[in-house]
Amino acid sequence: MDNTVMLSSTAERIYWMARYTERVENTSRLINVNFDLLLDIPHDEISDLVHLIEITSSLDKFSKKPTKENILKFLIYDQKNSGSIKYCLEMSKINSRYLRPLLPKTAWEQFNNMHISFLSSYEQTNNSSILHEVIRDSQRFFAIVSDAMARNDVYNFIKLGRFIERADMLSRLIEEQILRKEAYVSKHYENLQWMSILKSINGYESFKILNKEELRRINVLPFIIKDKNFPRSLIYCLDQTISPLKELPSSKESLKVISKLKDATKNIKAISTDKQIKDFVDFFQKVLIDVHILVSKNYFIN
Amino acid sequence: MNNKWLTYSSNIFFDEYLNKNSKIRKGFLRASLFFSSLKPKEKKYYIESCKSAINSMGVTFRVYDTDNEFKDRQWPLDIIPRIINQKDWSTVQKGLNQRTKALNLFISDVYDKQGFLELNPVLKNLVLKSSNFLPECCGVKPKNNIWANISGIDLIRDHNGKFFVLEDNLRVPSGVAYMLENRNIMKRVVPELFNEYEVSPIDDYPSKLYRCLVESSYTTSKYKTIVILTPGVYNSAYFEHAYLAQQMGIELVEASDLYVAKNNTVFMKTIYGKKRVDVIYRRIDDRFIDPLIWYKNSKLGIPGLYNAWKQKKVSIVNAPGSGVADDKAVYAFVPKMIRYFLNEEPVLSQVKTYVCAFKKDLEFVLNNIETLVLKPVNESGGYGILIGPKASKTELNKYKKKILDNPRNFVAQPLIRLSTAPTFINNKEQPRHLDLRPFTLAGKNFFVTNGGLTRVAMKKGSTIVNSSQGGGSKDTWIIQ
Repeated sequence: MDNTVMLSSTAERIYWMARYTERVENTSRLINVNFDLLLDIPHDEISDLVHLIEITSSLDKFSKKPTKENILKFLIYDQKNSGSIKYCLEMSKINSRYLRPLLPKTAWEQFNNMHISFLSSYEQTNNSSILHEVIRDSQRFFAIVSDAMARNDVYNFIKLGRFIERADMLSRLIEEQILRKEAYVSKHYENLQWMSILKSINGYESFKILNKEELRRINVLPFIIKDKNFPRSLIYCLDQTISPLKELPSSKESLKVISKLKDATKNIKAISTDKQIKDFVDFFQKVLIDVHILVSKNYFIN
Repeated sequence: MNNKWLTYSSNIFFDEYLNKNSKIRKGFLRASLFFSSLKPKEKKYYIESCKSAINSMGVTFRVYDTDNEFKDRQWPLDIIPRIINQKDWSTVQKGLNQRTKALNLFISDVYDKQGFLELNPVLKNLVLKSSNFLPECCGVKPKNNIWANISGIDLIRDHNGKFFVLEDNLRVPSGVAYMLENRNIMKRVVPELFNEYEVSPIDDYPSKLYRCLVESSYTTSKYKTIVILTPGVYNSAYFEHAYLAQQMGIELVEASDLYVAKNNTVFMKTIYGKKRVDVIYRRIDDRFIDPLIWYKNSKLGIPGLYNAWKQKKVSIVNAPGSGVADDKAVYAFVPKMIRYFLNEEPVLSQVKTYVCAFKKDLEFVLNNIETLVLKPVNESGGYGILIGPKASKTELNKYKKKILDNPRNFVAQPLIRLSTAPTFINNKEQPRHLDLRPFTLAGKNFFVTNGGLTRVAMKKGSTIVNSSQGGGSKDTWIIQ
């Protein structure tokens, strides 16, 4: 056996650090894209923003008057909102403290820079520059990790946490955004709306290379669910959780569960009904929770 | 050399850069040339880039305010190095090794035959009643007969520039990570200054520490599992715990990561199952490490750890109970210890100390309190200290009462005029008082760091250097 072994508590912290960092990036991109969309579509912007609260957190935590400023403050800066960017950054920071010995020095420094630049920025909701910065910082952090880290257990838990989080957020996005009643957005804007969804998962350009025609549910949905080459599709996320689990001990059961979920994901068709998609997403989220429970049971301090 | 750099004059204090005529001392010329050549704008640039290096390296320390709220503060480093020549330092190293040896022999004796205590009844009375004396440790024999493997012995220089020992820290001395990081920051910020001097390297400390920990192990396994036990991320020295773990490539653990099995061996919980632990470098006060023996409510400890240690199934560094020598009253007896245990004369001087447990000393202290520095014997971090010459009448009277209530709890020392060195205060060089904490390792061999952590009192005239109370720091250069 390797002379260096990973503590259970360390595994848990790495996993959460990666999840929270990924969440910060996803949430930032989500808000950012909707920010842009608001400028384009003449409609009830408040309800669109409220909808962001539904994806990232829960509506009953939001008690203020639903103005644009209040909602954005809640999403970005509210420390009591466990889905806010500030909260997630704080949590990733707390977990990262323990990881200093395990991360490459440059990754650790990048982590600090991300926090410093967010905390030292003004609290403002007029433009999205801070969101751009957070996205760039998080990407840099993960870039250093993939570029500089030995493929060891630390790396495996970063990957595991990161892709479980990404799959989770993606499934919420599909659930909320795709199946949302489009009462107040006319068909005329469908193209724009699908574009915003793709942009919020950084996939617009990748999609366009494959599909030149207009964006419609029938071609976008299969892309974000089961295109195995796109790093923010559900199926890609599942593949990325399989590879670290294969390296870790006692992962047989988790791998079996994920493999089943993969089959269900592959079975989704472009012509599946809203109801079928909805049922699938529910199932997907349930299994993801099971995977998380198995990971905690197998590796964390119980 | 004519001094165009430092504009202050030094006369009552020993300034390490300036002699009595306010001329730059020999050996400091090149540093002085470097700093005096900087335009105000460039000075500011260096100071700022030092801060930003510290920021992105994440060198912080934690302070708690009165509401027990914490803040992570940026580590304060002044970019003017503190320079000491090798010849002076060699003597200090010799003195520190001697002192560490004697203190370890003293602790062994306290928990064994108590021969030295028998000869000094007042000390015996003090030690046996001290909360740092742990009777449960009597009869235990740590590896190599070393109790305090790691110590931080604070030094000061007086108005003649002579080194004195100020206090011995043998429990869980901290600061070494900052010593190492200070050097890293300086190399990043003022590399050109390093070209001017042959500065003794210090970065071998983590490997020396690792070797010291390996040597303390009872077990015969080829690969030793060594861990650092930390109270957790909220501890003010957590930065250092994590730093040392990283530098040595060992695990940083909290109590919940460890458990003691039925056969008294200690294991840590890993993703591959349990793993035997050979050595624990504890960064927790000894009375917290086992709730079955000492502080019953300790959540930082591991039930059964004391027994595992006593039965030599695991080494604990520093050994529980070694704090008995980390006491400002015991300090007064160290020269005697050196003569008794080593049959040598002390190499290093130490500050004259009045132990209030002695009737004669108590009387002297009460009559001369306005000239003395008063210290509680069991506090660290600069807390509870009263500086007589700076205190008001009421403060003095209040303190007198405190002493009379419990004389055993206090010692007093004459006020030493600490040496100064130029320090950037609002981008201007000002003289500030310094101390020095070198770190010593004891095992099969003895080791003293090249230099140590220089701490600076940032307020004008102040001698309180503790970072928890606003002190700063300097990189310490031992030069050939």
